[in-house]
Amino acid sequence: MLAFVVRRVLLFVPTLLAIATLTFFMMRLAPGGPFQSEKDIPKSALAQLQRQYGLDRPLGVQYLNFLRNAAHLDFGPSYKFPTRSVREIILEAFPVSLELGAWALLLSILVGVPIGMFAALRQNTPLDFAAMACALAGVSIPNFVLGPVLVLTLSLGLFLFPPALWQGPQSRVLPVLTLSTAYVAYIARLTRAGMLEVLRQDFIRTAFAKGLPDRTVIFKHALKLGILPVVSYIGPATARVIMGSIVVETIFAIPGLGRHLVNGAFNRDYTLVMGVVLFYATFLMLLNLLVDLAYTWLDPRVELA
Amino acid sequence: MDSSARTRSLAAIVLVAGACSCSPAARPLAEPAAARVQWFGDTSPPAGQVLTFNNGAEPETIDPSKMSGQPDGRVARILFEGLTVPDPRTLEPRPGQAYRWETSADGRTYTFHLRPGLAWSDGTPLDARDFLWSWRRALEPATASRNAGLLYPIEGAEEYNKGTLADLSALGLAAPDDSTFVVRLHTPTAYFLFLTQYYTFLPVPRRAIEQWGERWTRPEHIVSNGPFVLSKWRQGDRFEFVRNPRYWDVASVKLDRIVCFPVDDLNTSANLYKAGVLDWTTSGNLPSQFVPYMRRFADFQSVPYQGGYFYSINVTRKPLDNVWVRRALNAAVDRDAIARDLLKGSRIPWGRYVPAGYPGYVPPPALTFDPRRARECLAKAGYPGGRGFPMISIIFNTSEDHRHIAEAIQAMWQRVLGIKVELSNQEWASYLQATTSLHYDIARRSWIGDYLDPNTFLATMASGDGNNRTGWSNPRYDALLHAAAREVDAAKRMAILRDAEALLLSDGPVIPIYHYMTTDLVKPYVRGLYPTPLDTHPLKYVWIDHDWRTRPAPVALEAGGGAAHAGGPPARTLRAPVEPGAPAAQISGARPSVPAAAASGTR
Repeated sequence: MLAFVVRRVLLFVPTLLAIATLTFFMMRLAPGGPFQSEKDIPKSALAQLQRQYGLDRPLGVQYLNFLRNAAHLDFGPSYKFPTRSVREIILEAFPVSLELGAWALLLSILVGVPIGMFAALRQNTPLDFAAMACALAGVSIPNFVLGPVLVLTLSLGLFLFPPALWQGPQSRVLPVLTLSTAYVAYIARLTRAGMLEVLRQDFIRTAFAKGLPDRTVIFKHALKLGILPVVSYIGPATARVIMGSIVVETIFAIPGLGRHLVNGAFNRDYTLVMGVVLFYATFLMLLNLLVDLAYTWLDPRVELA
Repeated sequence: MDSSARTRSLAAIVLVAGACSCSPAARPLAEPAAARVQWFGDTSPPAGQVLTFNNGAEPETIDPSKMSGQPDGRVARILFEGLTVPDPRTLEPRPGQAYRWETSADGRTYTFHLRPGLAWSDGTPLDARDFLWSWRRALEPATASRNAGLLYPIEGAEEYNKGTLADLSALGLAAPDDSTFVVRLHTPTAYFLFLTQYYTFLPVPRRAIEQWGERWTRPEHIVSNGPFVLSKWRQGDRFEFVRNPRYWDVASVKLDRIVCFPVDDLNTSANLYKAGVLDWTTSGNLPSQFVPYMRRFADFQSVPYQGGYFYSINVTRKPLDNVWVRRALNAAVDRDAIARDLLKGSRIPWGRYVPAGYPGYVPPPALTFDPRRARECLAKAGYPGGRGFPMISIIFNTSEDHRHIAEAIQAMWQRVLGIKVELSNQEWASYLQATTSLHYDIARRSWIGDYLDPNTFLATMASGDGNNRTGWSNPRYDALLHAAAREVDAAKRMAILRDAEALLLSDGPVIPIYHYMTTDLVKPYVRGLYPTPLDTHPLKYVWIDHDWRTRPAPVALEAGGGAAHAGGPPARTLRAPVEPGAPAAQISGARPSVPAAAASGTR
């Protein structure tokens, strides 16, 4: 297992290098640069800024410098926010995104899995249909619709929660609900499908036949296998829920990392985009590794190779 | 400052100009709580003297010498104070760190006298050398200040900024003693006292900058000299300011604390305001489609804003190099239809380059919609009925409003002139690249004034100016601008500027479309915050009125300790000096050398 982990981690290096290279040159191919604005920037100031950030040097040199610094986790200052280093921006914004994502993920699992199990155990009953209809709606409603609707009703209508901003526990409720709804629904559907498949298998029939209580069969034997699809979904979902909450971060004015990635690209903030992309890539690969490890624990038939 | 020093998303927001072509008069924010007055959302004041507002975006920097965005400027004005400060209602210069000043007869030398006992927030004394150092720093090439150009009226400044000034003593700045700061201009610059309140001219703390470098603006390092100091700054989340006990006029500062959020989503901003989280949303942070609805609420403040929305024409391309083509395009634009039907009356149709409301400026006649003249002009250009006219394109940055306007103009030109136009929307940075490098035919543009003088608009169209972006160059126009810069007589100077604008409109490198309006939302209990044409609001005099329901707006208090609406006659030099350290109210007669604020009748 250790060898497996080491091998996977070593594979991170070429992957990250490829991502870094692609991102670097794609950013530079895009028209415009980080220091333009609607108001003219004096030529002397522009030249000074480019010199200061090394943008006056040949692209190849810039690329090598970037790789060397990136190896030391140093991405330099953001071009848009020159008093902040990219590392600092990530370290400040990521915990916010992480908290938002973690709550959303927790809620999705705690609500989604029981709904899915419930529906599977009552397959083809009205309750099953109702649960799956809700799930379909949850998957289909985009969060840029759901968020404002929740704000309008629960915040501006009933005054239960603040409409936006990231201050105090109450402010977490609406963004977490908005972000998690689609995941709740999807996880419920995955759980139901997984459970239905497992419940028909021989070893479950055997377990029931030898007189094990229903609860033991379902929770100890069936669920462990039945939620495998959920587990494999959770890896990328975690990455998405944590890094990709740009819409929710915008609607609720949350100072998270997702907005830095998108705004950074619009602003041609080369260093910020490179830093966030590589951070995101590393995070995603780590999560996938964790998912693979979780598999071996949940399903003894899986072997790490 | 330009509309876009903010982020790309904000550029779209700037479009959100407000309404009310019917009543341009500045309405005081807090009206007596009359029965009919409707307010938008929660109207219960916060506990204590705390103002919470939306700044619209995260400032890029809060270093006054380097900044160029409006959210940045708002923070700078909370933290720092210049030689002069803007009047909270009219924005005219009032004494700030300088309690009086004199102007030489030729209008080229300004001698500022600083208040005695001025100090930085860390307790170190602030003297004339601080201004000298700060202004020099803004001009140093290494600082790479985006707004260094505003200091160019100072003798030797342009050369110094461009690295060609051999002798530093040739720079027209001097601090002969601790309390005297002398500025020598190369041309009399009538609006110079407006500039001295602009953020690029604010003093910055030399010691902190030398010690901490770029990081001097952090809350733990920053030292300031204004009414408030920075207590907290979490990027993308909030700024918090508390009163500066070492500020010279701390007795007039009523707020204990200011909190500002960088909410850039317009709907979110309106929601937060409605819920009572925000006491004030700055202009441009209201969705444009809300404007007609918001007019029924007394929170909504909308006055003409010193900003214009126009199309610029790349005159280096055929057939747009032909002045008759440009005149034809101009005459075929129905501005009224755009403002009235398309934008639901939320903006003022505007057929000039310089917006309304500059004191003393009598504008030239506006361009008007005249289909017959448009067709005649096109025929004179050699394209009768649009025959043989090549396909041209309009570029604009991605935004629904920009698209709708472009579609309307495309249809007007097709209908009136019989010419075909294609539309091309571009992502912000690509759009900037195309306009700055003249890779376009016709582009949507906007410009927001920096200071209260027509020059802030007209100078952008001078030959070779970085904001010209049309390739248009007219020696007569440049000569008029030069003549205006040298003119000491205010009325004559305005007349020259008027001729310059008339020439610009006749030559047609720009197609003016509409005039922006401010769109602030202000709670009834916020006193001392007035709509202003540059959306600049000195927060020093703002306070929270917990008894707003029962108390009519207290006019004397609102004026900020009676700050100066006495309105003396226009004068080149100040009246007799007053006792050093006298409160602002007593030296209120200190009107700068700007023309009397006669209604310009430009509407």
